[in-house]
Amino acid sequence: MDLPRILVTGGTGFLGSEVVKRLIETNKFEVTAIDINPPSLGTEISSDVRYVRANILSPAELHKVFAEARPSIVVHTAGLVPAGHARYHQKGKEAVFQVNVEGTRNVIEASKECGAKGLIFTSSVTVLVDELGKDFVNVNEEWPTGRASLVYGQSKTAAENLVLGANSPDFSTCSLRLAPIFGPNDSIIPQLHSLIPTSSFILGSGDNLTDFIYLSNAADAHVLAVQNLLNSATAADQAIFVTNGEPITARDFCIAVWKEFGHVPSRAIRIPVGVAWWMGLSAEAFSWLTGKDVGFSRGLISDGVVERYMSIAKARRILRYSPSVSLPDAIRISCAKLESRKRPKNEEIL
Amino acid sequence: MPSALSLIYYFFHPQELRSIIQWKVWHNPVHERDESKECASLKRCFYFLGMTSRSFVAVILELHPELLVPVALFYLALRGLDTVEDDMTIPLEKKEPILRDFHNILEEDGWTFNDNGPNEKDRQLLVEFNVVIEEFKKLKPAYQTIIKDITKRMGDGMADYCKNAEHDANGVNTIADYELYCHYVAGLVGEGLTRLFVEAGLANPMLLKRPELMESMGQMLQQVNILRDIKEDYDDKRRFWPKEIWSKYVPVFEDLFKPENKDLALNASSEMVLNALSRADDCLYYLAGIKEQSVFNFCAIPQSMAIATLEACFQNPDLFKKVVKITKGDACQLMIDSTQNLQLVCDVFKKYTRKIHHKNNPHDPNFLRISITCGKIEQFIESIFPSQPKPVESSPASAEAEAKAKAEANAAKWDMIYMGVAVLTTITIITGSMLFIAWLAGARFDIAFVQFKQQMGQLLGTSSFNSSEVASDHSEL
Repeated sequence: MDLPRILVTGGTGFLGSEVVKRLIETNKFEVTAIDINPPSLGTEISSDVRYVRANILSPAELHKVFAEARPSIVVHTAGLVPAGHARYHQKGKEAVFQVNVEGTRNVIEASKECGAKGLIFTSSVTVLVDELGKDFVNVNEEWPTGRASLVYGQSKTAAENLVLGANSPDFSTCSLRLAPIFGPNDSIIPQLHSLIPTSSFILGSGDNLTDFIYLSNAADAHVLAVQNLLNSATAADQAIFVTNGEPITARDFCIAVWKEFGHVPSRAIRIPVGVAWWMGLSAEAFSWLTGKDVGFSRGLISDGVVERYMSIAKARRILRYSPSVSLPDAIRISCAKLESRKRPKNEEIL
Repeated sequence: MPSALSLIYYFFHPQELRSIIQWKVWHNPVHERDESKECASLKRCFYFLGMTSRSFVAVILELHPELLVPVALFYLALRGLDTVEDDMTIPLEKKEPILRDFHNILEEDGWTFNDNGPNEKDRQLLVEFNVVIEEFKKLKPAYQTIIKDITKRMGDGMADYCKNAEHDANGVNTIADYELYCHYVAGLVGEGLTRLFVEAGLANPMLLKRPELMESMGQMLQQVNILRDIKEDYDDKRRFWPKEIWSKYVPVFEDLFKPENKDLALNASSEMVLNALSRADDCLYYLAGIKEQSVFNFCAIPQSMAIATLEACFQNPDLFKKVVKITKGDACQLMIDSTQNLQLVCDVFKKYTRKIHHKNNPHDPNFLRISITCGKIEQFIESIFPSQPKPVESSPASAEAEAKAKAEANAAKWDMIYMGVAVLTTITIITGSMLFIAWLAGARFDIAFVQFKQQMGQLLGTSSFNSSEVASDHSEL
């Protein structure tokens, strides 16, 4: 009997490659992975996966690839995330919207054209929480989107609206709103590692709770969504928050990461939010004058002091989602990976 | 008579004194016991209740009349059982049959027990246990059934522990054993009380379908007591902290009390705190199922005391030197907050959870798990009482209202501008008129102007002169 065919866009990326791996491990699916980049060095390439190079900005390429793969379900993880401080700029907005919105439109059209049964879209909590400077306390899917003030959140909102708008009786779509993802080879842990020299400073009260999600839990959610759309389809036309279900203060998350690298802040110097805001403004002015990007801004401060955590009751109910890797284990694994990546350099020096 | 020391203390902590006065003066019991209707044996039972339960007697006496006597007798029955179990002077072969048969003894008219050691503080209860039996047999059959069932199971559990020689010699081994012990001495009490509440129609029957909730109510209280009483128990040659926990930090139990092991002992205690703290959200969930105010008070007060005690014990070196207690002022404030509604109790839990979180020590191996548990409690509270309302979604009607509001704001803006212009114009006209009239009256503006000019000149000249002088002094140095 033929196994259901699944096509994963962004299949060689950070999240996409993990989704591909999880789908293969179930032994229930045939998987095609498409991406603009080849699998990165070090990533274990499975012989059970068919890798195809394609650009989601090219409708013609997509139609050809989709027609060959004939997927029942498409998992759309491909996207452009403004990294670091670019997150707070309007610079690069065109490129972000091009990939995240037009790219998504192309994927939807190609999916329908080739007769796919459903589409799972990797969205983000930023559709809600990118309204800068605002708290989001245990929010759920009933909260209205469309108020994001940052480029990434805006693009994800537009894309999510396209996806859910494409839902129909013979084409089921759902959107998984993921909390910030961390795991081996991610970008969050290295950023926090680079903050170790400033670990004594606390912005604001330090009481703000934040949600994250570990890579393999995020991938599990996608696999569950695939199975759902192939069967009961109760997830159709739904946006669903997915997190690790363990909100923790932003500062404690940082401390837990630093501890894994053998560093525990010895002092706690508290900086009021107001003072920090002016420091951010000064840094931005300096950056504008010199054209050099400094690692500080009002946006960064805002991200650091607001509460942002969600209820995953809907994910538990509809997808039967349950985070299998807990936060302490996830942090340990992720930091160990980064630690081992640093070792080769030391060896080179030696 | 308050001591001089405590007077000084309250001078520096007026908020606590205020809480004490507030509780003593203004607290109105939901229900009050009517002594005039009680027979001699019931009066005697309440006497024993007051004697054996200093902390609980007040809240029991305020219970709904339907539950007052059943709960009081339930308490005395378990206290009697505990008095037999606790007494180390009674040989095992005598103790075990009594424990296992105690549920039948409750119906044995005239039964008393005179073999407790002279130092067993609650022995008088058993010497006159016949009055408890007399009142027990007057209860509704449904209440009797519940109390007998719990008494049997608890008696069997206690008997099993008495027979366990290893337990006496080495204390509790695993966390599972620890929680089983807490189940027998406290979890069952939670179950019994819950069944009494539901039988009386004062609590949601759904609570019976969630046994983990009533179990957590008992576990939380008992674990906090065990945590807090470690030194006292150690002095009595008893130990209840599970070996599975303390052996991670010290090789033998006694090492927890050595000054050089302070940090390791604190790490062990924080794991004990973590275990108890993970029960907090179940306790709040349970309290949400209580319908009647006096029952709510009865359940909420001990839980609030427990979370506050947990915070007082957390990262506190004194834990291994003495029994750590919350201050009387804090206790009164907790009782005030716990006798209103669920939201205030949630605020109490949130407040103490955050205090625990602030004291969390990054060097502690349990640091992250404690932080996560604090986050879970806060998230649970948010799911019951959201602090942030969902924003109202904009709709066509709302869009029209928005446009109208915008137009009004615009109009207001122009009104402001017009008013500003009007004011300036008025001032200008008045000033001009005044100057003109003055001129007509013969004012010499030309002379005034010249004098003004001279004054300014002199002032500037003086400044220059002073400046030069200072410069001169500097060059001399």
